[in-house]
Order: sequence, then C-alpha cells, then structure tokens
Amino acid sequence: MAVVEAPMAGKVLEIEVAVGDTIAEDDEIIVLEAMKMENQIFSTEGGTVKAILVKEGDQVAEGQALIEVE
Amino acid sequence: MAEFKYSMPRYFEKMDDLGKPLKKVNQKNMDALKAIEAELDERVAAIKAHGKPDEKVHASGEWTAWERLEYLVEPGSWCPLHTLYNPNDNKELSTAVVDGLGKISGKWAVVIASNNKETAGAWIPGQADNILRVTDIAKRLRIPLVWVLNCSGVSLNRQEWVYPNRRGGGTPFYRHNELEQAGIPVLVGIYGTNPAGGGYHSISPTILIAHKDANMAVGGAGIVGGMNPKGYIDDEVAQSIIETTRGFKSVPPGRVAIHHDVTGFFREVGQTEEEVLDYLKQYMAIQPAYGKEFFRVAPPAEPKFPGEDLYSIIPENQKRSYDMYEVLARLFDNSEHYEYKPDYGPEIYTGIAKISGFVCGFVANHSGVIYDYPEYRHDVPAGIGGKLYRQGLTKMSEFITLCNRDKIPCIWIQDTTGIDVGDVAEKAELLGLGQSLIYSIQNTDVPSLEITLRKGSAAAHYVMGGPQGNDTNAFSIGTAATEIYVMHGETAANAMYSRRLVKDADAGVPLEGTIAKMNELIQQYHTNSRPNLCAKLGLVDEIVKMPDLRKYIVAFVEAAYQNPKSICPIHQMLLPRVIKDHMDVYVNHSTDRELAAKEAAEKAAE
Repeated sequence: MAVVEAPMAGKVLEIEVAVGDTIAEDDEIIVLEAMKMENQIFSTEGGTVKAILVKEGDQVAEGQALIEVE
Repeated sequence: MAEFKYSMPRYFEKMDDLGKPLKKVNQKNMDALKAIEAELDERVAAIKAHGKPDEKVHASGEWTAWERLEYLVEPGSWCPLHTLYNPNDNKELSTAVVDGLGKISGKWAVVIASNNKETAGAWIPGQADNILRVTDIAKRLRIPLVWVLNCSGVSLNRQEWVYPNRRGGGTPFYRHNELEQAGIPVLVGIYGTNPAGGGYHSISPTILIAHKDANMAVGGAGIVGGMNPKGYIDDEVAQSIIETTRGFKSVPPGRVAIHHDVTGFFREVGQTEEEVLDYLKQYMAIQPAYGKEFFRVAPPAEPKFPGEDLYSIIPENQKRSYDMYEVLARLFDNSEHYEYKPDYGPEIYTGIAKISGFVCGFVANHSGVIYDYPEYRHDVPAGIGGKLYRQGLTKMSEFITLCNRDKIPCIWIQDTTGIDVGDVAEKAELLGLGQSLIYSIQNTDVPSLEITLRKGSAAAHYVMGGPQGNDTNAFSIGTAATEIYVMHGETAANAMYSRRLVKDADAGVPLEGTIAKMNELIQQYHTNSRPNLCAKLGLVDEIVKMPDLRKYIVAFVEAAYQNPKSICPIHQMLLPRVIKDHMDVYVNHSTDRELAAKEAAEKAAE
C-alpha cells in the first residue's frame, strides 16, 4: 500500500479517480486550487485505488495523503 | 543524382524525444473550444456571403476573390490571415481584402486579393492597415507579395477614413517600393476598373499582368463633370450633369490598348480569368527561392502525436494548468527537440526543433506550480508557470541572441499572466530585464512568429515576441483559448475600484453600486479579450484551429528559409553545441571525463 500526497497546500476542486480504478504513475488524480491556479495533481504511484482520503471542497495541507494505491 | 545529404547528422538526425500519447480525450474541453471555433466559422461564412451574390459576380464574367485564390494557390497550402479583421466595424464585416500565406508554383508568397463582391473592391476603412500588415509580412519573411487586384479606388462616402492619414490609402504604394528596394518582388494580376488609388495599386508592383478588360488610370471615367462655380447643386446644375452624363461615352481610360499596346506597363494580358492567374503562376516560378534541401537538417516528418490532441491538452478554463511539453510534442517534426537550459529559468521553455526538416527556435511559457522558485524571494512557497521571473527573462534574452547568431527563425508561444511584481521583483531587476529582452529581440534580424496560445497579458505579451514588441514579428496568431488583456478583469476591477470601496465603507454607503460596476468591468474585460475581438481588432492576425497550428508553423518556417537575408552554415552554428555541452556538463554529467571516472570507480569497487 502506498499513498499519494498533496505536493502543496490547496483546495480540492475535482477528484478524477474512483475507488477500484487502475491507475498508472503520472495519471491525473486530483485538481487542486492553489496560488489562483487549478493545478493538475498526478499520481506518484501506479496500481489500484484502494481509498480516497479527501473530498471535493476540502482544504489540504502540503504532504497530506490524498489517495491510497495498492 | 543521388539524394541530398545533411550536415551534422549527429545533432539533428535524431534529437531528444518529447511527449506521450494522450491518455484520454477531454470531451468537455474539446466541446468548449470547438464551440468557439464554430462561432468564428459562422462569422467567416457571413463575410463570404456578404455583398454582391456570387451568381451576379459570375454573370458579369468574373470570379470572386476566393475563387481566384483557390485557382492560384496550391491546394492545402492556404493559411488565411486577417479574415475577421474589421477594426472600424464596417458594414461589409471585413476590410474587403482577402489575404494569407500560400504556395504558388512550389514557392511561398504573401497573397492578397480585392474582395470584388464589395463595392467593386473599393478602399474601405481599415483596408490600408490590413494591406500594411501584409506588406510587413512580405518584408519580414522576404517572400514575394502577390496581388489579385480589383480595386475601384476610394469608397467616396467614407473618404476621410480611407484616403488620407499616415497609415492611410496611399501608404501601400511606397511600401511596395520599399519591398522592391529590399529585393522582394511584388506581382499583380489586375482585373476590372482600377482608377486613382486603384491605379497606383496596379502600377506600384514589379510585374503587371492585366485581364483583357482591365484598366488602370490616374482618375476614373466616373469623374465626368468636375466642379461648377456655384459650389452647390441646384436644379440648373443637376440638369447640366444629366446632359453631360447622357452624352458621355463610357470607355474608361488606361485600358489594355493603352497600357499594353502603347506604354507597355502591362507585361502580359490574360484573355480569361484563369489566364491572368496562370501568368502569376508562371512569374512565381521564376522568383528567388532556395531549394528546401539547401537549408534542411533532416527530412521533414510529422509529429508522432495528432494535433487533434490539443483540444484535450490546452484547457479552455484559463485557471487550469497543463503540460506545455505535450503541446510542443504535437508541433515538432517527429516530436523531437533539444531543450536549452531546462535547469535554469524553469518557468520558460527554450529549445530548438525541426519543422519540415528546418531548424527553428521555440520559446514558450510553462504552466503550473514551480517549487522552490524563484530564487530571489522566500516570501512565497513557489513560482507559477505563466509568470516571468529573473531567470526566465535572462534565459529568453540569451536564447534569442544565439538564434540570431545562428540565423534560426524563432516562434514564441505565449500563455502568460505577466512579469513578477513587487519591490522584491524590482530589486531582482525584472523591469530592466523585461526591457532588455525587447532590446535583445530588436537586436536580432531573424523573422519571428508569435502564437498567443492562451493568455497574452501585461508587459509579458510585449516582451515575449509580441507583435507590438519588436520589428522581427512577421505575424501573430491565436486560438479558441486566446485572451489578450493588460491585466485580468478582476485585477483591473480591484485597481479601479478598491479606493471607492473603502470610501463607500467609511461613509456607510451600501456597496452594491460599486460591486455592480466592478462586475460590469470584469465582464467587459472578458468579452473584449476573447478570440473574436482579438481577430476583429487585429490583436492577432488570425484565430487558428488547434490542429492547424502546425500548418501555420510550417508555412512560417518554410517561408523564412525560402530566401533568407543571411546564412549561418550549419556546421558553424553555436546553439546546438551550447545545448549539448550544458546538458553534458551541468545536467546529465555525461562528459567523456565524467563517464570514464565513473567507470574507473565502478571497476575499483569490484
């Protein structure tokens, strides 16, 4: 099990994956609003999405876990 | 003879790969961009349908401007420009000329045709400026200017808008001479009646080819009465005009019988619509142009990934980030490139790539967050792509200077929100470095193309090769995602109304009034920065569909190498070497010395 962390603080705008999805490294998983921009966050892991730890509208801190991948 | 070979194949035969296949189509984004393109298509269709119906043009034995161009220009090569340009909001919906880049007899030319559906191709407001844009392109790219002329002269009821002024109707005539002085030929095929201004349009080019029924003259046959001593019209004068007009035999001056048979101004006379165009093709075949293989560094190749992908990659939502490398991978030959200093000025891409087998320089804004950057400030956690910082500004100046040294044409791809601001930025000399970039570009003499891919904003739109920021810009294009404004509408509303808000608050006045004004300004900024307005006002020379960007890039690059002013032998180029050495020494640590040391260390460890 691995987690993908938020590379910066921001607000979760869109979640692009669902539990059970198979994703590859570098797949877009979340759109995070930070510094007036809507930033695409890419997975640092490949595998199956086991859990999504945030919801749309959440404010996340830098380093906070976003999803779990197995 | 054997096929041509290329210089320095180790630099150019195989460059670094760029890009990945698209993972999934972004249908929503594609639909949004295509809806904007469709709206512009409707405007183009309205312009083509406007004026005299095609059947009426045909009934008088003529073709329309578009039909003439279709016969003249090689299929598939036409890159229209200024299609929606109409800065004066003419009722004709355009400036009544049709122009663009196209190939004729295998060579690139700037081609411009009078729209004979509108007042017999008369000068209307904005047309002179449109023509000057066209002569500028020919001058910058050093390719022939080809006129398909059918110009009845000044639109008399709007004369004050078209006849005089510094950039008015007469200006193109000396610009034609300016091109000729620089060794750039101007060819003209002449149709219809071309009196006065139309006459100078006809006579000022280098080679004149007339249709058998065409004429050109100092003045037209229509000037039958001249002035009467009264200075106004009464019944007596009106009766006199009627009498004179009835007795007037309408043979316009300066027909083929005079200007071919007597003066010899017309080099050729075409008996039919197409014969005039055939003569233009014949004269285009003898225009100055290097064979393409002379300057190529590799055979031409299409990008590995389809241009259609750009609809999914470039977000219509101006706040959404994306990967500029994926855009570039859809523009470059074989999706290959060499990047100049990727480890310095990371907000900016600079690099060289092959376009149709020719070397071309590219500068582009990256998008998204750049961590631990810029180096001169610690008050923000990160930099943002689209903004310009100290390193990026310096890198662009270095890069364009080297492009000029190597005689490599340059393409600027803008998606910029402006230069970093504040006292920290001033201390970091950004104002000075922005102007230095303008100086660097102005010091060059290689043609450039600017693409406002998405945002063109603040001074960054000037300094990044924008059309108003230098004299090397041949032309500039935009897309369905383009927005051009001095600042974002919200920033402008803030700048204009922040004090008023404070005053309102202090005075206990309700804020609604000021808030409404602010939102009105934001909406106004949005409407007036969109692709249609950019094209109409000439902020860009054309809005281009996403998959056609590469077509315009190829046209620009091939045209730039057709007859360049100066040459750098490929084996004497500096830029490819600077790129290689910087990557070997500072980025990849892959010099022979370092590799050998590594190998020795590994052996010792065994």
